[in-house]
Amino acid sequence: MAWSWLLWLPIHGYAQIPTPAPPQSRSILITGCTVHVGDGKVIDDGAVGFRSGRIDYVGFDYGVKAQYDTVIHAKGQHVYPGFILPDSPLGLVEVEQTRATVDKQDVGRYEPELRAISAYKSDSRVTPTIRSNGVLLAQVAPRGLTIAGTSSVVQLDAWDNDGAIVKADDGVFMSWPSAYQRQGWWAEPGETDSEKKDERAKKLDELRQFFRNAKAYSATKSPAIVDVRLEALRGLFDGSKALFVRADAAREITEAVQFTKAEGVKRTVIVGGYDAWRVADLLRDNKVDVVLRRTHSLPMRPEDDIDLPYKLPALLKERGIRFCLSYTGDHEHAGARNLPFTAGTARAYGLSSEDALRAITLDAAALLGIDQRCGSLTVGKDATLIVSQGDALDMRGNDVRWAFIQGRRIALDDHQKQLYRQYQGKLEKGQ
Amino acid sequence: MRLILAALFCAPLLAHAQTSAPPSHVRDAAPKVFAFTNAILHTDARTVVAKATLLIRDGEVVAAGAGVIVPADAVVRDLNGLHLWPALIEPYSDLGLAASTNEERKAENKGARHWNSALRADARAHELYKSDGEKAGKLREQGFALAVAHRMDGIARGTSAAIALNDEAPVKCIVQPDAAAHFSFRKGSSPDNYPSSLMGSIALLRQAMHDARWYEQAASKEPDAVLESLAAQLKGRIVTEASDRNDVPRWSRLLKEFGLTGLLKGAGDEYARLPEIKAAGMPLIVPFAQPEAYDVEDPYDALEVSYARLKHWELAMRNAYLLDSAGIAFALTTHGRKELKDLWKDLRKLVASGLDSAKAIEKLTVEPARLFGLDQRYGALRPGMRASFLITSHHLLHEKNTIHETWVEGKRFTIDDPGKLKLAGTYNLNLADAILHLEVSGEPGKHEAHVRKPDEPDSLKVKARLEVSGGVVSISWSPKGKPEEITRLNGSVHGGGGVWDGQGQRPGGAWFVWSAVRRAEGGSEKKDKDEKEEKKAAQLVGSITFPLVGYGWKEAPKAETIVIRNATVWTNTSKGILRNTDVLIHGGMVKAVGEKLDVPAVFPGKTKPSVFEVDGTGRHLTCGIIDEHSHIAISRGVNEGSHHITSEVRIGDVVNPDDINIYRNLSGGVTTVQQLHGSANVIGGQSAVIKLRWGHGADSLLLEGARPRIKFALGENVKQSNWGPSSRFPQTRMGVEQAFYDAFHQARGYQAEHDRWNAMKPKERTGKAAPRRDLRLEALAEILRGERDISCHSYVQSEIAMLMHVADSMRFTVNTFTHILEGYKVAPAMKAHGTSASTFSDWWAYKQEVNEAIPYNAALLHRNGVNTGINSDDAEMSRRLNQEAAKAVKYGGVSAEEAWKMVTLNPARMLKLDHRIGSIEPGKDADLVLWNTDPLSIDARALKTYVDGVCYFDEAKDREQRAWIAGERDRLVRAMMQAKADGAPTRKAGRERPRLWCCEDLGEDEYLHDGDHIHE
Repeated sequence: MAWSWLLWLPIHGYAQIPTPAPPQSRSILITGCTVHVGDGKVIDDGAVGFRSGRIDYVGFDYGVKAQYDTVIHAKGQHVYPGFILPDSPLGLVEVEQTRATVDKQDVGRYEPELRAISAYKSDSRVTPTIRSNGVLLAQVAPRGLTIAGTSSVVQLDAWDNDGAIVKADDGVFMSWPSAYQRQGWWAEPGETDSEKKDERAKKLDELRQFFRNAKAYSATKSPAIVDVRLEALRGLFDGSKALFVRADAAREITEAVQFTKAEGVKRTVIVGGYDAWRVADLLRDNKVDVVLRRTHSLPMRPEDDIDLPYKLPALLKERGIRFCLSYTGDHEHAGARNLPFTAGTARAYGLSSEDALRAITLDAAALLGIDQRCGSLTVGKDATLIVSQGDALDMRGNDVRWAFIQGRRIALDDHQKQLYRQYQGKLEKGQ
Repeated sequence: MRLILAALFCAPLLAHAQTSAPPSHVRDAAPKVFAFTNAILHTDARTVVAKATLLIRDGEVVAAGAGVIVPADAVVRDLNGLHLWPALIEPYSDLGLAASTNEERKAENKGARHWNSALRADARAHELYKSDGEKAGKLREQGFALAVAHRMDGIARGTSAAIALNDEAPVKCIVQPDAAAHFSFRKGSSPDNYPSSLMGSIALLRQAMHDARWYEQAASKEPDAVLESLAAQLKGRIVTEASDRNDVPRWSRLLKEFGLTGLLKGAGDEYARLPEIKAAGMPLIVPFAQPEAYDVEDPYDALEVSYARLKHWELAMRNAYLLDSAGIAFALTTHGRKELKDLWKDLRKLVASGLDSAKAIEKLTVEPARLFGLDQRYGALRPGMRASFLITSHHLLHEKNTIHETWVEGKRFTIDDPGKLKLAGTYNLNLADAILHLEVSGEPGKHEAHVRKPDEPDSLKVKARLEVSGGVVSISWSPKGKPEEITRLNGSVHGGGGVWDGQGQRPGGAWFVWSAVRRAEGGSEKKDKDEKEEKKAAQLVGSITFPLVGYGWKEAPKAETIVIRNATVWTNTSKGILRNTDVLIHGGMVKAVGEKLDVPAVFPGKTKPSVFEVDGTGRHLTCGIIDEHSHIAISRGVNEGSHHITSEVRIGDVVNPDDINIYRNLSGGVTTVQQLHGSANVIGGQSAVIKLRWGHGADSLLLEGARPRIKFALGENVKQSNWGPSSRFPQTRMGVEQAFYDAFHQARGYQAEHDRWNAMKPKERTGKAAPRRDLRLEALAEILRGERDISCHSYVQSEIAMLMHVADSMRFTVNTFTHILEGYKVAPAMKAHGTSASTFSDWWAYKQEVNEAIPYNAALLHRNGVNTGINSDDAEMSRRLNQEAAKAVKYGGVSAEEAWKMVTLNPARMLKLDHRIGSIEPGKDADLVLWNTDPLSIDARALKTYVDGVCYFDEAKDREQRAWIAGERDRLVRAMMQAKADGAPTRKAGRERPRLWCCEDLGEDEYLHDGDHIHE
């Protein structure tokens, strides 16, 4: 314990937004804890060591303490890779219904050129509350009609946008045109359909033309006339960017996979994927991964199994589809701190404990193309990790005592905890 | 007024009025006497007389039967075995009475009349009726001679008229003005914002009915044609309109409040709620159109068609039979059908599905006549009745039947001339030098002909021109590829069509004699197909579950005597959490709690109930979760946000027992919810508290004896900050405060006025009218009297303090602040006021006013002595409220036991129901949940959920249900594919979006829009 006194220095003031932590200067070893590697392995009585921002030891807890400047005794506690939140407008939205604070969606139907990172607010008041539950990395993605824009992966403790970047412009986000029209009750059936069908065919054709133009455009390295939209799609054809396609119904997923394959998109990821388990062969054959819709959601169809959203992760696992979990939907920015609990629910409904963890760590990293650096407690990777008092996938166990991003011990204070302290004081004094 | 009353109650009017326009030519004074002889006469659907005569004079039946003496002045027609039937009656029509257009609405001078444009009780069909020859003609073609029509526009729609479907001037067509008064829950073309929800429509009508009765008595009042008409109408025949089966009990309950009943136009889906429909006791008018099948050949498309829709397709044609079997009176209507002419095909399907064929005809003749008190004149053919009848070729329901003539009030309309020649068949065509085959197909007027040599294959036949006019035929054709070699024939038809002969001319000009003799009559392939389809309808099977959506019960579960053994029991009492404990349930109540219960000893008498044992080893037993803030199971609108105060609307009027979210909530251990009005206005509607008795009708869901409650709201929603431009008061929190003061000052005045009246002696009351009942103020007066509790949507500290000041100065208590995300800032004041807090576990940052919301709110409030609960306001989260409770452990360190009370006992206290629910002890309701593990664990799953000792959710049964639904879906999808293969029209599958409400959903049309739900 004597070595760890430094950790208790007041490294942040009482600003509303905690100050970003400085680079790791002293090597740190966390000992006596259960190490959840992220790839499925668990080490009881394990230790994790890191210096200069990188992990340099993962293993049993003996004979290594002397090599570290600081040792954190975390007996009975759990160490996890920092959780990764994909497909989120975090930092693009401050207060959902206060328009001036919202930068997540622009006008227009084909807007791949809109870059989330350019509007990302690294000092959002929401972000620290997300970190407090163990989410340390996020893929910031715009919302939109058909092609929404370009996402980037960030770490959640930075002075500015550039400092936050883990992987810039990692993917283009689009929503597959919905295959099904909403219809009314039978007493008042909604209009059908042939007209709408034509509309959809037109939309799909337009989309195809757009991709063909982009492919042709990408053949020239430096075109004389720059088209910012087509420029933004360039990476899809050489594999430097992934295409994230939002699609839930089996028909939509199938169409999307066939389309992207036909148009020469190198890497496609399905987002949503409610019916992905129904088209498992197609997804496996085409090496398409899935950013799965929030497990804490209602079944899409009235008589679907009432727990289908809860057990979708287990169904995908069973069918050999690689996936990660998301928190997309209502309250998606501030609610994302519940990401670990959505993994907990996946566990309650059939996924193993470590597979549930993997779906918010290593596999999430793989889907976002950052698994060389993040997603598991592996020597050589970034020391981006948390220490939780108990089971971090359970509300009662999730009590994050320490969190490190690239070896930097980040502040776990936030706006809400400040208010808590402030008013607890007031109430205790009987004011 | 007297006129209207007379119209509603008087016996059938005498013959047409004497005030017709004077003639402009010599009069047509010829006697209108007709005798139809040698007919198969159906005087009604059950009585048939062979070789009968129908004698009519001046539009009235004089005699009908065998042995009728035909008077000398009659025009006699020998019907030669054709059928005579009473003509059909359409009981629910808008013939000649189109809904108002926007322009008409704008032009309408409102005059001194009711403030709400959806109330149009003063409309009278016979005054508004405009002849619509085309539509009347279409109805006549299908055998209708009479329609009861009203303008289908508005909530109080005024009266209908019985209209004869002839081509006379309106004054002659109207055979019964003011046949009935009509009501619906739709505001139609009304430009007023109020009402914008189903509950608003019901509230408006309820108030109007009170007002109408008051209007009759009141000495001093503003003139109001609407109320004057309505008052009279409430003494006569009333016809209401339901949008779906669940509207039926709504109408019967509303009318019953006024000691009334009436008829009801249903939606055709009554089969799913027969017990409730029967209990409503209202005769029905129901549609009977075969719904289109969905195109489900693509298995992915089939996924998008819900079980409820598949079942409706299967059962719609069985509705009539099921209603009849249940002893529910009804008539049939063609209103709303796409294709009027399909009615005969569909009627045959009703019969194939079990409905007695005579009954099927009665439902379109004598039954509608009876429902509207017209059966002395219409619906049968007896002396003295109106001469509205049909001449047909066969029995009305025979698939080959043709309606030849429809007679309306003694006037003939030819539909299909029985004299028209039916020539279809194969003929030997004798051309003097050759015998050819002539093949004629099609119906009269659309005959097609082909000619070929007898020994040639079918493919070599050539098309011939065939024209028939009177008894004369003209035919011509030429061999393939040789147009110049044309043969032309002309001749006469004999023997009812079987023999033709005449002269012909060959190429080259030579004349010759020809003849044709029919060898075989032609059939129609299409009809064979229909027949096949009809036979299939009879074979349909499949059960009706309660409710008729996925996961409904085939057999309703019953309360049993159950002992749950050896569980960890969270009692929510001073006993705390008991391990290895048994709980005995009997008669819907908790009977005993203890270790190793000796069950027989609990029942001292000789007869011991049979006891079902449930092993609770390793499991946790809790009371059911209570959600203080829910919007599930609400029909057509959760906000009546059109006025800033709408305390008169009642969620209890619009409970939707068919919402799958009831079942989903049960699967998350929820047993009781408070259904709240939304938060769009300052004082919203009255809440309902329901127990999740899945399968029961709406009335049985309401928690009996629950105290009346109401929704208030503060802040951004009520000042309309977050949606489009708006100017409705209030726009500020200052305005919100004054809205409350104004409302409660009014309510005080109202209460005082009524108190004065109630204190008067009968003598003092003479000559005075009772003060008007105002349901809006009455609900507020109930708050002032402490009889109605409040759940108030609230966020920031200033507004919380404001409402408590208002309440203190008006001497009432705000029972519960719901959401209350800044409650932690004013906890001591809340405690002093004696209010409860029902909050979200961790929501924030979704709007400006929740910037200072913290997840520690529940812990701080709880620790500072405020009764605190955690609610959902969300159909998804409500089934994970156990997880939400666990967050009170995480954020602020509340003990597990106290956290659990936040979703059970504490909300029960808010609802003042903690004497019945919210804990486990003898005498309390057996609303229990058996969990696989600690309910606060992320791994917790409800295994069984009991309400009143009835197991409404059972994980094992749920798995069986899934398999059963899959099988049912498969069966129905196959049946639909077969129907498509048999030629039935289909429509594309679409996605049925659930109607999930949250606080901010406006109007009933909200569910038609896409988009994220933004919650409170």
